[in-house]
Amino acid sequence: MDTSLIAWSALLFPLVVSGLQLAVPVMLAATGELFAERSGVLNIGIEGTCLLGALTGFLVAWSTGSLWAGMAAAALMGVVSNAFLAWMYVTVQASQVVVGIIFNLLAFASASYAYRLFMGGQAGVVQVELFQPVHWGALSELPVVGPLLFQQIGPFYLVAAFIVLSYFVLFHTAWGLSLRAVGENPRAAEASGIRVARMRYAAVLIGGGAAGLAGAYLVLGRVGIFRDNVVIGQGFIALAVVILGRWHPFKAALAALAFGMAEALPLLLQARGSTLPTQLLLSLPYLMTFIAISGLLGRANQPAALLKPHLRE
Amino acid sequence: MSRPWFVKRQAVRASAVQQAARLLGAVLAATLVGLLLFLPFDVNPLQAYWTMLSDAFFTVRGLSNTLNKTAPLILVGLATVVAWRAGFGYLGFEGCLLLGAVASTSVALQALPGGPLAAWPWPLLVLVCAMAAFLVGGVWAGVVAWLRVRYGGNEVLMSLMSNYLAVFLLQYLVSGPLRAPGDLPQSARLPISTWLPYLWDGGRAHAGILLALTAALLVWHTMKHLRIGYEWVVVGLNPRAASYGGIPVGRRIMLAAFFSGGLAALAGISDVLGSHHRLLDGMSEGVGFVGMVVALLGKLSAAGVAVSAFLYAGMTVGADSMQRQSQVPSSVVVIVQCLIILFVLASALLDRYRWVGWRRTATPQTREGG
Repeated sequence: MDTSLIAWSALLFPLVVSGLQLAVPVMLAATGELFAERSGVLNIGIEGTCLLGALTGFLVAWSTGSLWAGMAAAALMGVVSNAFLAWMYVTVQASQVVVGIIFNLLAFASASYAYRLFMGGQAGVVQVELFQPVHWGALSELPVVGPLLFQQIGPFYLVAAFIVLSYFVLFHTAWGLSLRAVGENPRAAEASGIRVARMRYAAVLIGGGAAGLAGAYLVLGRVGIFRDNVVIGQGFIALAVVILGRWHPFKAALAALAFGMAEALPLLLQARGSTLPTQLLLSLPYLMTFIAISGLLGRANQPAALLKPHLRE
Repeated sequence: MSRPWFVKRQAVRASAVQQAARLLGAVLAATLVGLLLFLPFDVNPLQAYWTMLSDAFFTVRGLSNTLNKTAPLILVGLATVVAWRAGFGYLGFEGCLLLGAVASTSVALQALPGGPLAAWPWPLLVLVCAMAAFLVGGVWAGVVAWLRVRYGGNEVLMSLMSNYLAVFLLQYLVSGPLRAPGDLPQSARLPISTWLPYLWDGGRAHAGILLALTAALLVWHTMKHLRIGYEWVVVGLNPRAASYGGIPVGRRIMLAAFFSGGLAALAGISDVLGSHHRLLDGMSEGVGFVGMVVALLGKLSAAGVAVSAFLYAGMTVGADSMQRQSQVPSSVVVIVQCLIILFVLASALLDRYRWVGWRRTATPQTREGG
């Protein structure tokens, strides 16, 4: 009993460290999605946008040799794809679920087409260099805090800044107030002079940029290669994280961390010679998400106008 | 300055002719995009389309393949019709399909020599497999419906997550408890007494298509002529009105989910007992998602599903042979199909806007809808 307790606490710290690393793309995508949902749009197409971002980031980084160029291109790709999604959601007012799910299929097929088109002639698996951790001198050597905060790659700090910024924009600016009003009661928001459609476009575009970057972060910060299934469910998990985090950037980031740790657990346990079936451990994040959104843990108080298109009179 | 102008108008429902015209326009536009996608691969696109068609529909081998791929698509499409018509935004058909495959395999393996069901005759075994699959799939989807109705859970996201759970369960089973000796993670070959019969001697087309067509007939009858079908549609259109009308909305949604999950699980039967004759990893190839595309193309009607599933399956078979022959990725077909749906959805904009040509004077409030 004693030894197992020690073993477990020795497990905890690496679990948090690698959990955080796995969680960052989800944090990023979820924070972007938070804007969309706060404005009343549930963007199921986020999975597809992540995948397109991952592909674009990979292709651009590979052909230019610049990882940052890859990140920028992925963000642009995300904004462009979500401009289309926003048009379908807001202007056409088609069902957000249907559009999102079809868009995901389209993105999956397009990504595999584009990869074949551009990389079909390459022999073997093409790999790009990964982002290297930033060195902060003595800070990086600190115990606990060092590995956690000061041995991360450059984009990590941008994500952290984005999360903090999102909090201030959403809850401490007039624009953020307007955005939340649009998601709660678009009719009243419009009566008070807010351009509902414009706000929703802006929110979905922000979500697109973040999702595109999240995909690129995944490929250029962790995986290094592109596969059709490189994103597997990360976008969907971001949707769940937003709900679990009650539409708040900091809580969502914590929820994402929990998922990252659940994802890291199987790797760590395996490294320690665990005999539990891998599939059981791998399914943990999805099981957690399922329970989190099942309503068993209390009803989520979602933006009142979520999934509801707004018809101008 | 003159520019094209759309005038906003009172929303009107498009007539049948207009809808047909829009579908045709969407198909043409998407096909055109498909043609463009062929260009980088240095093939004649028209010839490529023709190869696709002829390989899929005009050869015995291709047609058998097409029919075998049509069956699960019809079943998942029907599952989509039942769930979505009842207002249950379920997306977990992939999981139901896989669980149906798991359930039927588990039963069928009992009929191996020495197993408890070894003496059972052929039709009975298939029936039992089908019932097991239907039950498991139905409960799998039903749980999500129950959580939504009882606890207000989000069925869209729950069902998406449940797909991954099913995938991992299948992977666990074929790499552990059900794994047959050998290099590949797959189950033992199922006894012949559990196979779906072939439609003609020496061919590969199996009776899955008959199962699917029977199911289509039943769903059509249910939606069109039975009280429960009517109640599902009312619940889907307006749950509050349905509730005032005395329909127990929650229970109807759960029942729809059960039948929907069961239908999708039968798609797994068609794959396992008809095509593969064993359980293997990665067997569904996204049919659970493509089936939703098929259902939308078929306008959420049973007859429409049957037709569009046949066409879609044919295009997939054709695209695979095209990929083998000319390096054109088969994903082109998925792109074209998705674009058709997106174009059709986008054409609903025409209900609210009218094209008035190129105007010199512009009326200000007409541009963009809220």
